[in-house]
Formats: sequence, structure tokens, C-alpha cells
Amino acid sequence: MSTPGTAMDSLSAALKCNIIPNQEYLLQGSVLDQYVEVLLHRLRGLCDNVDSGPESFHDHELCFTLRAANTGAPMVLPLRVRRALDVNDAPFQLRYVGQQELGDKNRPTVVRSSIDMACSSTIVEFLTELGCRLDFEYIARGYMFRKGRMKITVSKIFKMGGNKPGEGVEPISQSYLVELSVLAPSGQDAIGEDMRVFAEQLRPLVQLEKIDYKRLGNMM
Amino acid sequence: MGVTILTQFPTENRTGPQTIDVLSKRIMALGAIQQGQFLVDCETYTSVQQLGPQRTVHVLHNSEQPATVFSLLETGTKTIPLATDGLFDLLMMKMSSFYTSKKQTKAESKGPRYEIGDFCVKLGTVTVSSNFKGILVEVEYRPCVVPAMCWDLLKEFLQGFLGLSGPTNPPAYLQNRMQEIYSPIDTIHQYLEHFTLFRKSPVEANVN
Repeated sequence: MSTPGTAMDSLSAALKCNIIPNQEYLLQGSVLDQYVEVLLHRLRGLCDNVDSGPESFHDHELCFTLRAANTGAPMVLPLRVRRALDVNDAPFQLRYVGQQELGDKNRPTVVRSSIDMACSSTIVEFLTELGCRLDFEYIARGYMFRKGRMKITVSKIFKMGGNKPGEGVEPISQSYLVELSVLAPSGQDAIGEDMRVFAEQLRPLVQLEKIDYKRLGNMM
Repeated sequence: MGVTILTQFPTENRTGPQTIDVLSKRIMALGAIQQGQFLVDCETYTSVQQLGPQRTVHVLHNSEQPATVFSLLETGTKTIPLATDGLFDLLMMKMSSFYTSKKQTKAESKGPRYEIGDFCVKLGTVTVSSNFKGILVEVEYRPCVVPAMCWDLLKEFLQGFLGLSGPTNPPAYLQNRMQEIYSPIDTIHQYLEHFTLFRKSPVEANVN
């Protein structure tokens, strides 16, 4: 009977075979509140979960960064924690989202590295004590659809009101955020094309685009 | 998942493999059947100076829960446990400019795993950065999840095959948690306590 390999060995093997879904392909857009029903209706027709209907979610997301004042460039590591407010015993979700790859301008979607994992509820205290700072938090409530391995979410974003999530929340805008994403191992660029085709079918209700966060930052 | 007790077994004048041999003969004589091998490992990371007061993250894996990574964060005043999916190791790599692993600290305990009735017994050879450090015996009593309710049974079982070297008191970590429901992270805490002691101990001469 052979000794079990170390976890690090299996991780390196998985990295080598490129089977870890660590890239996120993403398109984003928005739709005004008064048209969201039309969009949901269209998505119900286009997506896989026709019979069961869309899955609803009600999540609280906390966005942390780990920073260290360094000589030269400051080091920053963004980390996000998401927890379901509507399912009590669901595990928390921890996520690292990297900078979007500059790459080819003609690429149909944003591509950024992503490490996504389930974790225990101690994660918030763990990150805080690790040295992370809470930058902002929000509540997202909406619906999730699937089409093959594409995930489509239509969510309303709320500001945190009271001390407890769910208490006195206030929507940040009169529209819904629409996201089309796929988590896949790197190099599977063909998925971008599928996403472009799908996004085309939602026009002109919603225009799903590559959003350049750096440019958004400059606009403010 | 039941209650697990981890205890060190003295090697005295024997080498590591000789000690494992003696113990496996004893447990087999009691009717245990070998069911594969096991491995628990631990890597320790410390925060870089720029991050302020020093903190330590211990990242452990246990072959009994192969899809989980356990982490224990020590701040100096408290210890925060965390259980995550396997990709946490990938995240630790991303954190390499904030938390660095000290070389020469990788600790592991590995060896044969036996089942005997309701008990699961593991005989671990402990190494710290490949240097032999000692023997850890893990016994799990699987039908029960409250330590206080099965401690006497576990003690009797342990003394049955470890003799006088068997523990007379529950492990320090469990002593004020005897009435709580036992979970896999509690086993991880016990391993870390022993690994920390082994890391401080001098290298044993009998490497083989």
C-alpha cells in the first residue's frame, strides 16, 4: 500500500495538468428596474433551468485587502468573502480576484485570475487578524441562471444600512447588475466566443461589455 | 467522525522503524486490520515585518479529510481556526510576499493506518524537514463525538497496547473542551501542539 502523496504534490500535479479553474471570463452590464422583468423572462427562455426556474440568492459580500507598505510598489492582495443570508448552513465563500489581464484588445471578454473556495464561518475573523482591512461591503439579491457552463446573475446591490445585514438596506441605484461569467482553467479562450454569442442574444435589453475598472477609477 | 486522542510514544533505545514495528505487531495481535497509510503535514508561515505585529499561520493537511485544508492563525493572544477547500494552498502562494514559510519547519507524521472494531489507529513517524523526531500514536473512537463520554474507554484502549506509555490524562488541548462536540479541526490542534514541541526538540541521533 503506497503512502498518500502530500497535498502540495497533488496541487502541483493539478497545476501542471491545468485542471484548476483559476481564470474568470467575465462580461458585465446593467438593466433599469422597470425592464428587469423582461430580461428575466428572456433569460428563463434562453437558459438551462427552464423547468425549475431561476435560483434566487441573497448574499452579503465583504471586500478586504491585505496591504503592506513596501519600499517601491505597495503590495495589495484583494480578498472577498461572500455568505448566503437566505441559507443558514451554507459554507462561506472566499475568493481572490486578480487584476484583469491586459492581453488582446479583440478578446471578447475580461479575463482575470480567480481562486474560489468554500470555507468555514471563521473566515472573517481569520482575515481580520491576518492583517486584512475591510474596504467595503454590500448586499446582493437576485437570480442566477445557467447556460452550459456559463453563469448569469441578475442582482440588485444594496448599501449596508444598520449593523446587521438585512437591516435598513438601501439600493445603490435604480438598476440591476447583470453578469455573465465562466470559471475555467487557463487557456480555454474558446469560451469567450460562446459568451459573446450569448451576450448578443440579450441585446438591446442589456449590453454586456468588458468593463475596464482602471478607466472607471479615473472617471471618479 | 469520532473523538481522536493523539499521544507521543517514546522510542527509548529503538529506532523509528523498530518502534513502529513493535506497535504494529501489538495492534495486529489484538485483531486490527491495516487499511492503507495516512499522512498529516504542517507548513508554517510568518508575517513579514511590514505587516506589523508578527502573526503565524500554520497550514495543515490530513489524509483523513483529503479535500480540506486546515489553517490555524496565531496572533499571540488567540488562535483562529479555518477550514477551506484545497485551493487555499494556491492562495497561500499568492500571499508569499506577506507571509513567508520558514524553511526547515515542514513537519509531517505518516505511517500505517489500522481499523479495529470501532477504533481507528494510526502509527505516525514524525519528521521535521526530513529529520526523524519521534512517534505519534493517534486513536479515534468513531461512534462517539463528545470527548467526556468516551475518554475512559479511549484511555483503557490506549493503555491496552501502549502499556505504561499510554496517556493518563486527556490531551491539554481537549481538557477544557471535554463536553463539546468533537470535529476534525480538534485533531489538527492536537497535531500542531505536538509538531511545535518536536520542532523545538533536538534532532534524534537514530535517524533510521
